[in-house]
Amino acid sequence: MSAPATAAPPTSAGGSAPREPRRRDRNAYGWPARAFSLPAVVVVAVLLYLPFLWTTWISLTEYDGLGSPEWVGLDNYRAMFDDANFLTSLRNTLIWVAGTITVPVALGLLIAMLSHGLRFGAWLRLPFLLPYAISGVAVGIVWVFVLQNGGGLSQALDTFGLPGADTRWLLDAPMNTVVMIGAAAWQQTGVNALLFVIGLQSIPREPIEAARLDGASGWRMFRHMYWPMLRPLTTVVVGLGLVASLKTFDIVWIMTQGGPGRNSETLAVTMYEETFVNSAYGSGSAVAVFLSAVTFLAAITYLRRQLSTERTV
Amino acid sequence: MAARVLRPAILLILGVVWLAPLYLLIVNAAKPAARYASDQVWRPIGEFALVDNLREAWDLAGLADAVTSTVIYSVVAPALAVLIGAAVGFGIVALRLKHGFFWFVLVFGGTIFPLQMILMPLFVGYVEADVFDTRLGLVAIYTAISVPFAALVMRNFLGGIAHQVFEAAVVDGASTWRIFWRIYLPMSGSALVAVFILQATFVWNDLLLGLTLSQSDEVRPLMTALTGLQDTYGGSSLVTVLAGGLLVSLPTVVLFLSTQRIFSRGLNLGQF
Repeated sequence: MSAPATAAPPTSAGGSAPREPRRRDRNAYGWPARAFSLPAVVVVAVLLYLPFLWTTWISLTEYDGLGSPEWVGLDNYRAMFDDANFLTSLRNTLIWVAGTITVPVALGLLIAMLSHGLRFGAWLRLPFLLPYAISGVAVGIVWVFVLQNGGGLSQALDTFGLPGADTRWLLDAPMNTVVMIGAAAWQQTGVNALLFVIGLQSIPREPIEAARLDGASGWRMFRHMYWPMLRPLTTVVVGLGLVASLKTFDIVWIMTQGGPGRNSETLAVTMYEETFVNSAYGSGSAVAVFLSAVTFLAAITYLRRQLSTERTV
Repeated sequence: MAARVLRPAILLILGVVWLAPLYLLIVNAAKPAARYASDQVWRPIGEFALVDNLREAWDLAGLADAVTSTVIYSVVAPALAVLIGAAVGFGIVALRLKHGFFWFVLVFGGTIFPLQMILMPLFVGYVEADVFDTRLGLVAIYTAISVPFAALVMRNFLGGIAHQVFEAAVVDGASTWRIFWRIYLPMSGSALVAVFILQATFVWNDLLLGLTLSQSDEVRPLMTALTGLQDTYGGSSLVTVLAGGLLVSLPTVVLFLSTQRIFSRGLNLGQF
C-alpha cells in the first residue's frame, strides 16, 4: 500500500519543481493524510457505494427480502419493458423532464429580465423565492389543497366564469402529471430567476450600451444580446433541472401517491412501490439501475453537447 | 416610458398569482375546524384559530416528537459531514494525500446517482444491523449523504489557503491535528457555515430516507410524519394538516430569508 518515494511519480500536486523537499513533504505526512481522509472514504464507501453495488447485483436476481436472492440474469429488465405500469411511469418521467427543463426555466428567465435594473427588483422577486424555501412535502400539501375536486383552483375558475371548474385535476392522467409539474414549477421558478439575475449582473455593460445606441431594444435586444450571453448559465440551470426532474419523488408521493391506479407514477415512485409495497426487490432494483443509468447518460450527453457547442461559439 | 410601468405591473400580477397558494394555506390553516367550509376556501373568516391548529398539529398529530428528532438530525448530521468533508479536504490539499485527486473523485462521486439506488440495501442492511428505526441510523445516512458536497466545497476552499501557512505552522512545531483544528478550520468559517446551512435544509426537508428507514413516532423525521398525517386527510383534520404544513415550513423560510446572501453566493460557489 505505502509505496516508497521512488516508486511514486508526482501525479497531482500541479506545481513547479517536484524536487527533494516536496517529495519528502509528501511522505512526511503520508499517515496523517490518510488518517484525515479515512472517515470520508469509509462513510461514503460503506453507506453509498456498497448499497449501490448491492442494488446492481440484486437487479439480476429474484428476491423478496426473505431467504436468499436467486440469479435470473436479465429477466427483471425484460419483464420491466413488458410491464404497462413501468411504461406509464417512463412516459410520465419524460413529461416531467420536458416540463421541468422548460416551464420554470422560461418563467425564471422572464422574471429575471423583467426585474433586472428595476428599483425594487429584489422585492418584486420575493414572492417567487418564498416557495423555494419550503419543502417538497409542504408544496405538495398546499397544492393538493388547491387542486382537489372543487378546491381552490376550481372555485377561482368558477368565480371568474372561466371553463374547467369541474376538471378532476389530480385524478385523470396525464392531467395529474401536468398539474404536478405546475406545482414543481411554482417551487423552482424563484431560484432560477435568482440565478439568472446573478448572471445578468455579471454581463458587461459596454456591449449592451453599444447595441442600445445602435437602436436595439425589446425582443431584438434579448434575442441577440442577453440570450447568447446567458447561454452558459442557461446550460447550468437546464442541466440541474434535468437531473432533478428524473428523480422526482416527493411531490408525486404527497399529491397522488403515484395514483390513481399507478397512472401518475414516476420512475422514482415506481422503484419505491415495487420494492417496499410489492416486496419485489429484484424488479425494484432493476428500475433503480435503469433510472441511474438514464440520469447518468442524460447528464453526460447534455454536458458534452453543451460544452462542445460552447467551444464553437 | 410604457415599459417603465409595464414591467413592474407584470411582475406584480405574477407575484400575486404566485402568492395565492400561500394565501390559501395561511387563511385556511387559521380557520377553526368546525367553521371550515370546503366550498369557501378563498374567504377568510373573523375567527382566528391558527395557534390552536398549530397546537393541534404539534400535540395530537405527534409532530412534537418528529420535530425533536429532526432538529437532532439536521444539526448533528451536517455538522459531522462538514467536519469530515473539511478533514478530507485538509488531507488532500494541505497534507497532499497520495493520489489525492482519485480519492476526491471517489468521495464526490457518492452523490451522482439517485437515492433510489441505495434505498433497498440500506433498508435490509439497517434491519440486519439493528439500526433500522433508530436515530443513530438516520444520523449516519444523513451524514454520509452530506459528505460528498461538503468535501467538494471544503477541498476547493482549503485549496485557496496558501501552503506557506501550513509550512509556517510546521516550523513552529504544531502537530497536523493542531494545524487542522486551530488554523485551517477557523480560517474556513464562511464555507463551513454555507455548507452546513445547505445540508441542514436538505436534511430538514428529507422525505425519502425517513420513509424508508424509520417507522416509530420517536424516530420518524418531520416530513415523513407530516405525510402520515396527510394520509388521514378528512374534513376534520384538514386544517390541522395545513397548519402542520405551515409549521414545518417556517424554520426553512426564516433560515432562507435571513441567509439569502450566503445562499446565492453558495449557489455561485457550486456552479462556477
